[in-house]
Amino acid sequence: MSLISYAVPVPRVPVGTTFEAVIDWLRVSLGAFFEFVEMIIEACVTTLSTMFTIPSATQFTLLAAAFVAGGLLAHKHRRPTLIAVAVWAGFYVAELAAGLVSAVITTLPAPLFLWAMNLFGAEYVYPPLVLALLLLAALVAISFTAAKERPQHVTAVVWPFCLLVILLLHFVVGVQLSLIVAALLSVLAYAVAGWGVCIFSILGFLLIISMDSWENAMSSLALILVATLVAVVVSLPIGVLAAQNRHVSTAVKPVLDFMQTLPAFVYLLPAIAFFSIGTVPGVIATVIFAMPPGVRLTELGIRQVDKELVEAGEAFGAPDWQILRRIQLPLALATIMAGINQIIMLSLSMVVIAGMVGAGGLGNDVYTGIAQGDIPVGFEGGIAVVILAIFLDRLTGAVTRYSPAARAQRASA
Amino acid sequence: MPAVRADKLYKIFGRRPTKAVELLADGRPRDEITSLNVTAAVIDVSFEVQPGEIFVVMGLSGSGKSTLIRMLNGLLPHTSGTVEIDGTDITKLGKSELRKLRSEKVSMVFQHFALFPHRSVLENAAYGLEVRGVPRAERETKAREALAMVGLDGWELKVPGQLSGGMQQRVGLARALAADTEIILMDEAFSALDPLIRRDMQTQLLELQASLGKTIVFITHDLNEAMRLGDRICVLRDGRVAQIGKAEEILNDPANDYVANFIEDVDRTRVLTASSVMEKPIPVIDPGQGPRTALRTMRDNQTQWAFVVQRDRRLMGVVGESAIAEAVRDNVKDLSGLVGSAERVSPDTAVADMFVQAAESSYPLAVIDDDERLVGVIPRGTLLAALATPDAGDESGADEAAETASAEDESSHFAESASESGADYSGAEPGDDAPATEGSRR
Repeated sequence: MSLISYAVPVPRVPVGTTFEAVIDWLRVSLGAFFEFVEMIIEACVTTLSTMFTIPSATQFTLLAAAFVAGGLLAHKHRRPTLIAVAVWAGFYVAELAAGLVSAVITTLPAPLFLWAMNLFGAEYVYPPLVLALLLLAALVAISFTAAKERPQHVTAVVWPFCLLVILLLHFVVGVQLSLIVAALLSVLAYAVAGWGVCIFSILGFLLIISMDSWENAMSSLALILVATLVAVVVSLPIGVLAAQNRHVSTAVKPVLDFMQTLPAFVYLLPAIAFFSIGTVPGVIATVIFAMPPGVRLTELGIRQVDKELVEAGEAFGAPDWQILRRIQLPLALATIMAGINQIIMLSLSMVVIAGMVGAGGLGNDVYTGIAQGDIPVGFEGGIAVVILAIFLDRLTGAVTRYSPAARAQRASA
Repeated sequence: MPAVRADKLYKIFGRRPTKAVELLADGRPRDEITSLNVTAAVIDVSFEVQPGEIFVVMGLSGSGKSTLIRMLNGLLPHTSGTVEIDGTDITKLGKSELRKLRSEKVSMVFQHFALFPHRSVLENAAYGLEVRGVPRAERETKAREALAMVGLDGWELKVPGQLSGGMQQRVGLARALAADTEIILMDEAFSALDPLIRRDMQTQLLELQASLGKTIVFITHDLNEAMRLGDRICVLRDGRVAQIGKAEEILNDPANDYVANFIEDVDRTRVLTASSVMEKPIPVIDPGQGPRTALRTMRDNQTQWAFVVQRDRRLMGVVGESAIAEAVRDNVKDLSGLVGSAERVSPDTAVADMFVQAAESSYPLAVIDDDERLVGVIPRGTLLAALATPDAGDESGADEAAETASAEDESSHFAESASESGADYSGAEPGDDAPATEGSRR
């Protein structure tokens, strides 16, 4: 007896293999591009994470210089500041490229530098440090000659003094860098978000240091910051476009849904294919996973701006980009900042997965904990992630208060 | 050249606008084209606004007035027709030319103020100049001047959220004034304010307009506001123009039932002025005439009073019949001791402001021009008749007409006596001074 089969043959659609073929094709044809991206991201992450873990005297000096320069710019002394920075940048590039500054320094008499080198415990004169110190000196000089404002004079005194204290603490007294960086981050928290967050971050960072997770935490922080930066840079323009144009909005929406719902592990696959194991695929996967709320909230924020205000801009003859920059973006800033906050939070949640592809950091701890059943290591890594998350969340949340719209709202309340 | 000119302007929202324009141009009503799936907001609107004029566009919600005003500065593209600003057809301008035109020639005041909440009052007021690229110092000086004009000096550094509604709209007005454009479009500018403040703002706008002489296109749904502000009023109904004219023309001579219905609730006493309700200044007597002549003139005109005017028509006062009759009995030869003072109003006085004076005097009100010359009289009966709407007042209007006719019959006789007395009344036709008088009698 023969049974009639009602099975309908469904052809096998080669989704997976097509995907693989596309990836292979991209890797072959756009290899140079991916290498370039890899190089940039890698450099950024390494620089940031060394800055957080073992900051050099040069970096501290540049930080102090940045604060003084920021003060000068805030008081509208643009030209001398920019000239000083440009000269410094020129010398820096020349040193990197041709060792120009080293050549000059070696011709100078040694006693000129010996005291400083002894102070920092360096065996030889490190040219970038010299350049950074000169930049700082130039900016301080500008502050006292060009700027008449008292606050700027205070800034110009306080930051070099802080720099001196930090250098003395580390190089003379011998305090660990981790404590100094933790203290600086806590000061940042105080400046932006107030006492509560500051105290929390002091305690939290001390806990991380005591758990021996500081270096991992800082390398994770660097990875998150780079990923956030990339995600923001990509998602803001897309969000703005989507807000301005209905077609872009409808086209972008399913893509965002796809990015958010596709399991994170799945897009690790192409990321590894393009960038091999390491930090970069971790960053790329994080960017893709974390970007959607940035786009969505930017679009929402701009769409929420009162239509009549945009119309007022048009009625007075303002071009579109000016309406965007002076009306829509400032008024949407609170919502956009909420989007950036979401990006950061999602990046944090990707840390563990990034650890799996060898991005290092706290994810590595957690992954090791899972793989080896090492509960203490895994749990401590997890706790450190939570501390970082709260720190970053409170910080970005507080930044919203400085938006012009929020300030106006407070004033009118 | 008109400052703003709209010619056969159409705005159709929807997919097949041209077909709809054809149908509407044939005179089909708006409801009949709903099958085309289009919304006709503005249909065949034509008008001209002269420089220095306040032109009010009035209509209920949905009458297309907001759409219309947005087409005047190109915020909304037109479907057909033309809009000319200072002779430039803006429907043919490109995007950047249109922006330039807006920033240099046409500014706008919005219903809900549309102030930028993140900018200070000063920065808001300076916005128009900022867009035009005026350096900061200069634009802030101008913005301060504009803010002072609207009475907001001292508030420059606040943000809009700290201001009350009326003050916010003053900032909106200052923003338009600081932009220093010839034309200002005001889209229901005072509708969101409460009545008292609205009235203040109207007064302030009229005061500013008296000194600045801008061309203002003002949108409103409030007929009283329209009547108060508008040099001319355009009544819109369902996107079409129902009537264009001066306030008094619309009030006294509504073009159709719609407008007539509309103006039923208007406070006529605030719109009608002395010049539109006054009657011919008869009878009058010369101060040189004796009481006997005066008495005869009054009897001839069947009045109990007569105004005493000099040869150049300057008003001396008024005499009453009883006093004159007594003087005649006592054989007094001279009028001078008998002339009482008359209550005087100017031709622009609103009817509402005349009631007190009318109640205080037993004689009619004398309407005198700037040179104190008598141009008309307002008996109490006329004052009351002015309150009646044209429709409701049919009967009284007929009476009034009869009265006028009889007065005119007698005026020939009066003219004789006037020429006898040597007074020159050739220029005394009330029509010269008050063109709307005839309308008010209709």
